[in-house]
Amino acid sequence: MNRLESSSSTTMPVLRAVGVVALVVIAFLLPRLLGGTAIAYSTLTTIAIFAVMCYGVDIVLSYLGEVSLGHTFFWATGGYAAANLSVKYGLNGWSTALATMAICISAAIFLGAVTLRTREFVFSLVTYAAAVVSYEIAFNWDAIGGSDGIVGIPALKLPFGFATYSGSTQEDLWPIAFILLLLTLGFIARFRRSRLGTTALMVQMNPALATSLGINPRKVRLAVFVISAPITGLAGWLYAYQRAYVGPDMFETYFLVMMLTAVVLVGRRILLGPLIGTGILIAQQNLFSLGGDWNKIILGSVLAIVLIFWPTGVVGLFGRFRKNKVAVRGGRLTKTR
Amino acid sequence: MNKIITLGIALALGLAVPAFAQQDPIKVGTIFPLSGGAGPDGQSVTNAVKLAIDQLNQAGGLLGRKIILISKDDESTPAVGVSRANEMIAEKVDVVIEGWNSPVTLAMQPVFARASVLDITAVSKSDLILSGDSNPLAVRINSSNGFDAAVIAKYVVETLKAKKVAFLTQNDVYGNGFQAAVEAEFKKLNFAGEVALTEKFAFKDTDFRVQLTNLKSANPDAIIVTNSSNSSGLPAMVEQYRQADLKSAFVGAVGIMLPTVFKVAGDANNGIVSADIYFWNLPPFSAIPESTSFVAAFKKAYGVEPDKSAALGAAALQVWARAVEATKSLDRKTVAEAIRGKTIKGTVFGDATFLPNGQLQPRYVVFKVVDGKTAKLEPVPQN
Repeated sequence: MNRLESSSSTTMPVLRAVGVVALVVIAFLLPRLLGGTAIAYSTLTTIAIFAVMCYGVDIVLSYLGEVSLGHTFFWATGGYAAANLSVKYGLNGWSTALATMAICISAAIFLGAVTLRTREFVFSLVTYAAAVVSYEIAFNWDAIGGSDGIVGIPALKLPFGFATYSGSTQEDLWPIAFILLLLTLGFIARFRRSRLGTTALMVQMNPALATSLGINPRKVRLAVFVISAPITGLAGWLYAYQRAYVGPDMFETYFLVMMLTAVVLVGRRILLGPLIGTGILIAQQNLFSLGGDWNKIILGSVLAIVLIFWPTGVVGLFGRFRKNKVAVRGGRLTKTR
Repeated sequence: MNKIITLGIALALGLAVPAFAQQDPIKVGTIFPLSGGAGPDGQSVTNAVKLAIDQLNQAGGLLGRKIILISKDDESTPAVGVSRANEMIAEKVDVVIEGWNSPVTLAMQPVFARASVLDITAVSKSDLILSGDSNPLAVRINSSNGFDAAVIAKYVVETLKAKKVAFLTQNDVYGNGFQAAVEAEFKKLNFAGEVALTEKFAFKDTDFRVQLTNLKSANPDAIIVTNSSNSSGLPAMVEQYRQADLKSAFVGAVGIMLPTVFKVAGDANNGIVSADIYFWNLPPFSAIPESTSFVAAFKKAYGVEPDKSAALGAAALQVWARAVEATKSLDRKTVAEAIRGKTIKGTVFGDATFLPNGQLQPRYVVFKVVDGKTAKLEPVPQN
C-alpha cells in the first residue's frame, strides 16, 4: 500500500533525514537553479500554491475514498477572505490567514455534518451543489466583489513583531509559497501516521471492522473533511496575493479538474503524489501547450484513462510490472504492514 | 564552419528584407480567447490586429523597424491569462493588446503593470479596468457601461420623447448595473416621465411570456432591454415580443444586437432600436479612409466584413503605433501618456479622443433595424 514509506523505512534514519534536508534545500533553490528568471519564480510559486490546493482534496480522496467536488469553495473562500479583508479593512497576512482558516473550518463542519450520511455519488453531488450555489452567490453579491471581482489586492504583509516580511514580487512570494508547501507536506506526513489517518483508512477499507472496534465512522469522516478544508483554503489565500485579483473564476472547473487530476495522476496515498502531479500538469500547460481546446481534451482524457485503467495511478502501473516480475520468481510481495 | 553558415543565413535574410535588416523587430503581443465559446470572437480580434500590423509593415514598419505578432490564448480563464501574461513578459514584448473577458483583463493588469509592460485593453468592459489602481496607465478602446447608458437614456428621453418607460432587465451585475446607470442618466436629463415597471429575468431564461404580459398591460412608450444571451435568450425574447404584439418601442442596450440575434430571430427584429460604436457600412465609419481600407483588407484576407470587436483590435494597434511614432519611444509611461487624455488621428474610428483615465471617447450610432433577415440597419438621427 505504501511503497515510498516501506522502502525508506528500511534505510538508516540519519541518512534519511540528511536526504530530506538536501532535497528541501535543492527544492528551495530550484528557481535560481532554473536561471532565476521572473517566469521561473512565478511558475514554481504557482506550482507550490496549486499543490497545496490539491492536498486538501488528496486527504479526502485518499483517506476517505470520497471525491469532493466542493473544494473549489474552500479555495475561493481563501481568496475572497484575503481580498476583501486586505482591500477593505487593510488587515495583514496573519489576520486574513486566520480568517480563512476560521471560515473554512466552520463551513466544512456545516457541509460535513450535512453530508455525513451520504457516500460516494451522493457525497460528490452534494459537495458540487454547495460549490455551484456559492459561485452564484459570489457572482451576484456586489458587497464581496460581484461578477467583476476585487482588484488592487496589496502586497502580502507578514509582520513578525521586529520586522515585516512583504511579498510584493513573485520572487518574494516564493519563500512563502515554499514554506506553506513544506508545512502542508509535514502536516500530511504526520496525518498519515496519526490515529485519525489510520482509522480513516480503516473506515474506508473495512467499515465493519472499524465499527466492531468501537470507532464511530461518521465522526472520523467529519474530522477528515474538516481538516482538509483549511489546507485548500490557505492555498487560495496565497493565490489572492500572488494574482492581486480575485473573482468568481476561482470556483471554475479549471481548478476542480486540476485538483482531481493532480491527485489521481501519480497515485493516491503517496506523499509527494499531488505535488508531482501538479508539476506535470502546469508544465504541460505552459511548456508543451497544444492550445486551449486540446489541453482540455488531454486533461479530461488523462483523468478518465487513469481512473478507468490504472485507478492506482502511475505508481500503481509500475507496481503492476514489478508484481509480475516477482510472480515469475515464484515469490509474493508482502507489502502490507 | 557553423559561423559561416549562420553568416550565410543572415545575409540571405538580409537580402530578402533589406528594409528591416538593421534592427530587431518590435514585438506586439495579443492575449485573447482562441479556444472555447469565445474562441471565434478572440480569433477575429487577433486577425484584425495581425492585419493592422501587416498594413504598417507594408508602409515601412514602425520607427524603421519591422513589427511581429506574438499571439496567445487565455482560454477565457483568468488563471491561464496570468500564465500567458508572464510568458509575454519573458518574451520581452513592447506592448500587449488583450482582453475579451473582464475578469481575465483584471487578473492580467497587475502582472503587466509590475513588469512595466504597456497593456491596452481592446474589448473587456468592466469599469474596474480603468478605476482600479492596479494599472495607473490603463488604456481601453471599447466603450464603458456609463457611456452606453447615457446614449440610450438620451435617445429615450430626447429623441423618442417617452413619458412612460419600463425596464426588462437581466438580473445580474451587468443588467442591474446598466439599469442603475440609465436611471442615473434620466436624473441628469431631468426626465419628467415615470419608470412604470421593472421586469427581471435570469441570464439562462428563454421564456419571457409572463414578463411580456405584465409589460403589455402597463403599455409604456419604451422598454429598455438588457440581455446578453445573444444566441438563445435574446432571439427568443424578440420572437415572444412580436407574438405578444406589444406596441411599446423595443430599445436594446448597447452592443446586444449581434449577428446571432439576426440569424435566429430574423424579421422579428424589425423596428428594434439600439446603438453601437462601429459599423463598417454606416456613417461616419463608411467615410473614414482608414476604416474603408481596413474593411477591404479584412474582407480580402478572411472573407467576412469586420465586426465591432475586430475594429477594436485594429484601433488598439493603430492608436499604439501612432503614439509610438509621435514620441519615438517604446517606453510604457511615455507611450501611455501620449494616449491618455490626447487625440490620436488616423484610426479605423477616425480621430480617436481619449479621456484622461485612458477611456476612448466612443462615437455612437443609434440605429433602427430595417430588415432583420439581412441585418440591414438605418441610422436614427439624434436630437
